[in-house]
Amino acid sequence: MLAAGMLALGFSLAVTVLAFYGLIGFDSSGTESRLDTRLLSDGYFHSVVWFSIKQAGLSALLALVLAWPVARALYYSPGLWLRQSFLSLCVLSFVMPTLILITGLVALLGRQGLISPWLGQDWNLYGLPGILIAHVYLNLPFAIRVQLLQLQHIPDSSWKLAAQLKLGAWQRLRLIEWPALRAGMLQLFGFVFVLCFNSFAVVLALGGGPRATTLEVAIYQSLKYDFNIPEALTLAWTQLLIAGSLFLLLNRLGGNQWLGVDSTQQHWTPKPGAAMQRLHRLLYATAALALLLPLLALVPGVLQVNLARFDWLAIARPAFITLLIAAIAGTGALLLAYATLLPSRFARTEGRNTLALLCDWLSTHALVAPAMVVSVGLYILLLPRLDLDHWGMLFVVLLNMVLILPYAVQQLRPRLLQFDRQYERLVRSLKLGFQERLRIEWPYMRRACITSFALMLLLAMGDVAIFSIFGTSDWTTLPWLIYGYAGTYRMGEASVASLLLLLICALVVWLFQHFEKGQQDA
Amino acid sequence: MLDIEDLQVLRDQQPLRYSLQVQRGEILAIQGRSGVGKTTLLDCIAGFASAHCGRLDWQGQSLLGLGAAQRPVSMLFQDHNLFEHLSIADNLSLGLSATLPKETLQSALDTLEVAELLARRPTELSGGQRQRIALIRTLLRPEPIVLLDEPFAELDPHSRQRATDWTRRTAKAAQKTLLMVTHQYEDVQQVADRAIMLLGIT
Repeated sequence: MLAAGMLALGFSLAVTVLAFYGLIGFDSSGTESRLDTRLLSDGYFHSVVWFSIKQAGLSALLALVLAWPVARALYYSPGLWLRQSFLSLCVLSFVMPTLILITGLVALLGRQGLISPWLGQDWNLYGLPGILIAHVYLNLPFAIRVQLLQLQHIPDSSWKLAAQLKLGAWQRLRLIEWPALRAGMLQLFGFVFVLCFNSFAVVLALGGGPRATTLEVAIYQSLKYDFNIPEALTLAWTQLLIAGSLFLLLNRLGGNQWLGVDSTQQHWTPKPGAAMQRLHRLLYATAALALLLPLLALVPGVLQVNLARFDWLAIARPAFITLLIAAIAGTGALLLAYATLLPSRFARTEGRNTLALLCDWLSTHALVAPAMVVSVGLYILLLPRLDLDHWGMLFVVLLNMVLILPYAVQQLRPRLLQFDRQYERLVRSLKLGFQERLRIEWPYMRRACITSFALMLLLAMGDVAIFSIFGTSDWTTLPWLIYGYAGTYRMGEASVASLLLLLICALVVWLFQHFEKGQQDA
Repeated sequence: MLDIEDLQVLRDQQPLRYSLQVQRGEILAIQGRSGVGKTTLLDCIAGFASAHCGRLDWQGQSLLGLGAAQRPVSMLFQDHNLFEHLSIADNLSLGLSATLPKETLQSALDTLEVAELLARRPTELSGGQRQRIALIRTLLRPEPIVLLDEPFAELDPHSRQRATDWTRRTAKAAQKTLLMVTHQYEDVQQVADRAIMLLGIT
């Protein structure tokens, strides 16, 4: 069992190592590829690093600060209209493919955007404003859900005691609400920071030239335009070092719970006054509108298209391929996640916590290994050895599986560790074999597995980076089709395809939330 | 015979020392104030706590080199003895030998008055009912050494009487070597052949 775990961990690590080996070993000019250390003192390098940190820091800060009043409104006013749908929309906004959002934002705030005329002549979506808007849009819903769950963990007894002691609003905020939020705030900030720091598609689409470039995009540009391997390697190592250190720190702090079922079963919370309730409704409506607008902005584009004459087959096949790839990659990622967690679980039960932490980091290291670098590195390594036109799609699936693995690990780990804390001694005492152990673990893990599978499906459905390297035109996916439509200014078709992808994602979110609710009721 | 000689276990960097012998088929009650190391001794015999040095032999063979899953031990913990997400019937099926006669299990369930609970989940049971179910599984497993950590703590006087009687009868019939941690003098009287008091001298 442990051997299978080590093998799985080795496999995920080997993909990254081989990718870097591919880049280091590449030799186009007869000279050995090395790190370009001169780049470290270059102004361009400094500006890229600074911009990467600045945009990630600002995005995380804005997402957290803006989420706070909305989470409070949801907490203190559980009777808000369509509250459950809003929370589902939050999940959808966080996990939906970035290209849908970009198409929507361009339709809404781009040069010919629906509301651009009211934003003044100086308005420009491209550059830092566009990147911040997109990142806040993607992460604000996540922050809302995390903060709401943290508030829901405040025991009723605290509120009752506060009422008994006649604490004022400020005292309640300082003594009850803030301590509940503070505990997870640093992790939340760090996690959103890492996501924005590693963001690729948003910065590529909405970044504005060298002044608005992140490390990930700079890596892509140095590979795609200059084919400057030493520069790409230096940038990749920098990215890995910064994001990796942050991620290691985050691992020590613990994870964020965000996919838990919303509980409106608080028995006793302070009732806000009439004015505060109106403010809550206003905040809630504003947040809902902000999340819906980029999605609704796809509709005018769809209406431009003659739907009766539209070649539906042209998007039906890519839609099926997208689902198929995502389903295989999602299932594979779940199995791989279970296996890669075995060494860390074993180390924990043996009391070897440092080793467990190292195994944890290794199983989630793909989160900080730039997707573009891993794809290009492997491509270079495999090109002379394999017919990638023939085998390319296999690597699309495989790399998607490895790159979504950290998310699967993060989803399964808390539940498995809980199982171990509660039952590991009993399992060992009963001398259960692997099959018996699986038989017991499965009912315990089923709910976490299905939730994780839905998330894996959604994440894999959004891939563009890996397909751009390994994909073939015979197996075009829906996001790649949208990218192609948008690149040739066929915004109508891009909107139709985006809307279809959005509907598929919404269906997946609805299905798993329905399942979660059913499990909770049971 | 279970032979423990100058066995040292580190707990919070403090060494705990144990020396005792238990004959095959003997029932030994272990008493002592809280925190003296009673559970730690059971954990060490079962393989959940590592021995720093000393000897722990069963029938002349050392157990120290064996993992928890390899030791001839069946243990009842103070809590978490049942998988909460499985039914009582499923929980009972775990760890029992396939050759255990159905009548033996049924008789135990009837004696301890838990036969009606098989379809339920542990969360639907009282603490005492869970305790009795776990006790049945621990005693009926084929392991020759049985370790019970406060096995009757949550039982009412009626259930306690039945459980202590059944425990002694079953252990004696199967020639189990049983070590039982308890704070209750009545448990010692009704179940054990002899009792020792751990003094907490390190």
